[in-house]
Amino acid sequence: MIDVFFQYDFLRYSLFTGLMIGFLAPFLGVFLVVRRLSLMADALSHITLTGIAFSMLLGRHVTFFTALNPVYMGMVFSVAGSLLIERLRFVYRFYKELAIPIILSAGIGLGVVFISLADGFNNDLFNYLFGSVVAINQTDFYVVVSLTAVVTGLIILFYKELFFLSFDEEQAVIAGIPKMPLHFLFMVMVALVIGISMQIVGILLVSALMTLPVACAMRLARGFKQLFFYAVLFGEISVVTGLVSAFHLDLAPGGTIVMANILLLIGTIILTKKQSL
Amino acid sequence: MIELLQQLTFLERGVIAGFIIGLICPVIGSFLLVRRMTIISEGLSHITLTGIAAGVFLSQSVVYLGFINPLYTGLIFSLAGSLLVEKLRQIYKHFQELAIPIILSSGIGLSAILISVTPSNTTEWFNFLFGSIVTVSLSDLGFIFSTGVIMLVLLGMFYKEMLSISFDQEFAATSGISVRKMNFLFAVLIALVISMSMKVIGILLVGAMVTLPVAASIQFAKSFRQVVLIGILIGELSVLGGVMLSIYFNIATGGMIVVTGVFLLILTMLIKKITRYASGFRLSQS
Repeated sequence: MIDVFFQYDFLRYSLFTGLMIGFLAPFLGVFLVVRRLSLMADALSHITLTGIAFSMLLGRHVTFFTALNPVYMGMVFSVAGSLLIERLRFVYRFYKELAIPIILSAGIGLGVVFISLADGFNNDLFNYLFGSVVAINQTDFYVVVSLTAVVTGLIILFYKELFFLSFDEEQAVIAGIPKMPLHFLFMVMVALVIGISMQIVGILLVSALMTLPVACAMRLARGFKQLFFYAVLFGEISVVTGLVSAFHLDLAPGGTIVMANILLLIGTIILTKKQSL
Repeated sequence: MIELLQQLTFLERGVIAGFIIGLICPVIGSFLLVRRMTIISEGLSHITLTGIAAGVFLSQSVVYLGFINPLYTGLIFSLAGSLLVEKLRQIYKHFQELAIPIILSSGIGLSAILISVTPSNTTEWFNFLFGSIVTVSLSDLGFIFSTGVIMLVLLGMFYKEMLSISFDQEFAATSGISVRKMNFLFAVLIALVISMSMKVIGILLVGAMVTLPVAASIQFAKSFRQVVLIGILIGELSVLGGVMLSIYFNIATGGMIVVTGVFLLILTMLIKKITRYASGFRLSQS
């Protein structure tokens, strides 16, 4: 079943990219969930849509953008979005949770306007929304490889600081950990990972890959390191089963990956319920 | 009366529907705001998409079920979703905020599969996702109007209880209000508001209509009533402005409504900043 993925170049690229995404997204997702920022992934993925739409619109008028993969503009927008969220949290000091819905809905709204200006309501957009098995080409693949290396390296480098910040922010700040630069670095990484994952999984489903494996892992893990292990394991299982079934059944890969994840989640919830009895 | 309704052009139907939505969304939004649950509207709107996809799929693939209106399956799914959120909050007691992303992503995931198995063209889906004012039929208008009336009546009946629960749940419980019943009623209201507005502004943008007007109004309001009233005003303005601009520039209605809402929000932030600066200036003068 899976051997067809090694026969064709484009499938091989998307399989390997999927494997890397299945590692990266839950890896960062652990920090997101533990820091109670799981909704951030949703907001940033929605604003990535705005960037993609903007790039599509520019591509119709400026030749430089026609050749450029819209995903890169999406990454720029999602980094900007993460900064804007921090700013909004400051404006609504008493209703901090408002920042995410505002960015999320503003992102989609603006995205829709750009799309309809670019006459982009077509199949391409559908692939951006729900993912596609064949969207990865060689350049994208190399970008993903280098990004995986960079993000993993950075996380290992700053593991202690991020860990400290996630569990006891106040003490971490007192101990002299630079909170804002680290937070910014982390958000940039999240934005970049969302940007690369969305080609396979789709904008609307990227956040699922960041939160669902972690939600599964949380039911089983007995420590922070185990949380990483289980989250990445569940992430990889769902990506591989999702990609293979999507290709053979001709479904949107985002949907199958997420549904594989949901099944795992339901399984773990039922399993751990029995254990606790 | 009925003849009068039938004479409405597609544009008038859309504008009327828009007005009802601009009235109801901020009202529900104000309650969500003070309960710190604005994000739930995003989660439920995404699961409504699953319901709609299921409705379209069933009506196209099973002959007997051809009569199904996707609006109603969407409503059922969003009701079920709101109950599921409560359940998930219990399961993840220490990470309650995980409930919404789980619901949101499972909703979209399932709908992605349903959409790709349904032999239907993409334009129809884009209408559901991003809204289209020209597709509001007379029966849709009836659905929007009747759910709007039902919601206003329910809110009028239980206004005091709702308000009390929103601001101090424990106090409300001790004064004899059934918190569980009220929360259920509230879930029903959210589900209703999402399924009624999605035809005009689209599933992905309903959350915006619920959040943006109240986010703008809370900058000025000095009481809950003012939050609601200014919210309605801003909601109606963004619907009206959005519809007009979308027709003028030939842009998707939902997107334009939301962008108008965002514009009004930025405007209120600027006004607030200027007034604060001006009053500070006056203080330093005296």
